Amino acid sequence: MEHILVVKNLSVTYVNKNRRVMAVRDVSFDIDKGDSLGIVGESGSGKSTLAMALLRLHPDGTKITGEAFFEGKNLLTISNEEMNDIRWTKIAVVFQKAMNSLSAVHRISEQIEDIYRVHCPQTSSEEIKKRALELLKLVNLPDRVYRLYPHEMSGGMLQRVAIAISLLHSPQLLIFDEATTALDVVTQGQILREIVEMEKTLSTTRIMITHDMSVVATTCNKVAVMYAGELMEFGLVKDVLTHPHHPYTQGLQGSFPSLKGENNILTSIPGFLPDLSKECKGCVFAPRCSHATERCFMEKPPMISVGETGGAACWLCEGEKYGK
Amino acid sequence: MTKFVLRRILSGILTVLIVFTMNFLLVKSAPGDPIRSLMGKETDDPALRAALEEKWGLNRPLHEQYFNYLENALRGDLGTSITYNRPVDQMIKERVAATLLLGLTALIIAFIVGTILGIFCARHDGSFLDSILSTSSYAADAMPSFWLGLMLIIIFATKLNLLPSHGMYDVRAGYTGLQYVLDVLSHLVLPCLTLVLITMPGYFRITKSSVLQVTNEDFITTMRATGMSERKIFNKYIFRNAILPTVTMLGISVAFLLTGVSLIEIVFSWPGIGSLTLTAITQRDYPTLMGIYLVMNLSVVVVMIITDILYAFLDPRIRYE
Repeated sequence: MEHILVVKNLSVTYVNKNRRVMAVRDVSFDIDKGDSLGIVGESGSGKSTLAMALLRLHPDGTKITGEAFFEGKNLLTISNEEMNDIRWTKIAVVFQKAMNSLSAVHRISEQIEDIYRVHCPQTSSEEIKKRALELLKLVNLPDRVYRLYPHEMSGGMLQRVAIAISLLHSPQLLIFDEATTALDVVTQGQILREIVEMEKTLSTTRIMITHDMSVVATTCNKVAVMYAGELMEFGLVKDVLTHPHHPYTQGLQGSFPSLKGENNILTSIPGFLPDLSKECKGCVFAPRCSHATERCFMEKPPMISVGETGGAACWLCEGEKYGK
Repeated sequence: MTKFVLRRILSGILTVLIVFTMNFLLVKSAPGDPIRSLMGKETDDPALRAALEEKWGLNRPLHEQYFNYLENALRGDLGTSITYNRPVDQMIKERVAATLLLGLTALIIAFIVGTILGIFCARHDGSFLDSILSTSSYAADAMPSFWLGLMLIIIFATKLNLLPSHGMYDVRAGYTGLQYVLDVLSHLVLPCLTLVLITMPGYFRITKSSVLQVTNEDFITTMRATGMSERKIFNKYIFRNAILPTVTMLGISVAFLLTGVSLIEIVFSWPGIGSLTLTAITQRDYPTLMGIYLVMNLSVVVVMIITDILYAFLDPRIRYE
């Protein structure tokens, strides 16, 4: 399979007057065409920062190192003009809070027209409307939505509108940044099903940023687990969720209830995220890890391959001495 | 929308009527006696008092006085000033023009300059100019307007002798035509400058914080992610969303234009509504006072209705059904 996005040693540091926060540290991964990659992690693990850095939407003064190749172009070094050409035509994004992701004082139609014309300025309003109604239908919204203002719609409808807008120019890569987090479980389930259904007809690659393992389980084929800005484990969803190798992934799994089987007691991972402004010598998870040894505190574990395609940044995976 | 406008106008009329009644009662119950000030302190002739009361209708029952006043007011007749012996509506008309000249000029300058500076500083948040303007806006806000006016008089009129310190035109010169206009303008500079310095910080800060807030909204990030140019994002999306609180503030300022500049008028002896009010109060000139209150009240109600309607057009979230 051909890689659509290759991220190598990506680090993102927020620089403030007196503080530097290393929100993403040395992350490498790649996505094949047609893949759906879930990036999971708790709040502050750097998953949204990662997406923002890929789109170059980070605040001024943020320091980014590493490479991110999209169709052979390094997204981090190309000119602003080149980046603007890629935005929305090739990479589109759906943000967390749909309620705020559209302007409150402009009609949906007006915003769609403006967004469409960024890349095709000559298109007539009728043509744009035709395209928009097509997409609204795809996300199960009635035509009348096109003439509404954002406040006249529910959160679920707005999220669908945001998804429809992201598809305007049929991008190759779609990034969902916690796109369904703010919705209730029923609506979230519906929308997730719609996304999966939609992809059968569209040939998009998708990155799903979420803290919810169940979202990944239902909509992704690959998963990357992040903790404190670092990649802990990656692999196929079916492998990682059934046989997590990294103690952090195991911990994450333990903190979600299982629908089947016994009434398991939910376990939470003891401790808190480390201070991201400090350099970390060993494994970032070591202070909270029940399996940590002295080596974990002294030496940072590299990404060690596990299984056929997966990998975990944990010394315990060395030589597969450990695992479930 | 038509229904909303009609309802808004109806409630406006009701408001005016209530305030009209309250004004009447309030002024009537205030201590002091207009006949006293008319007769002078030393005279106390019962026959003269009775004649004066008869002339001004002050010996009639309260409700008669009230309905008489209401009837006349509806015809635009606000009675005759006890102090000046002239029709009140005519006096107010003369004074309103002077107040509007001062107040509107200052308001327009303060609004435009304040908004532009606010936008600029929001776009260059933390820059050198921004820190200077932001700091001095607090200083200007903290200054009492009359004190600032007096300081400007001391500097520009007394010490530097550049500008006139009081009045609206030079009474002795008797200028006409262009010379008159220039004369009025030179008289306008100091009171106008005082007002601008006092009101501009409000527009500056509200615009700056509003632009900053909207710039950090999620939908702006969405627009950036679509590759839309910064100029388009600002001109269309940030501006339209950020201007809303500024419009509210402008509406309030316009509504209180007639009352808002009174203090400055008194400091600069500007022949506007403010100084007329002051004389009317000290002289217990009831007809004038009630006339002024009525006009002020009317202007507040009318401008507020206009602001509400304008706001409904600017912000679709506020469509009054």
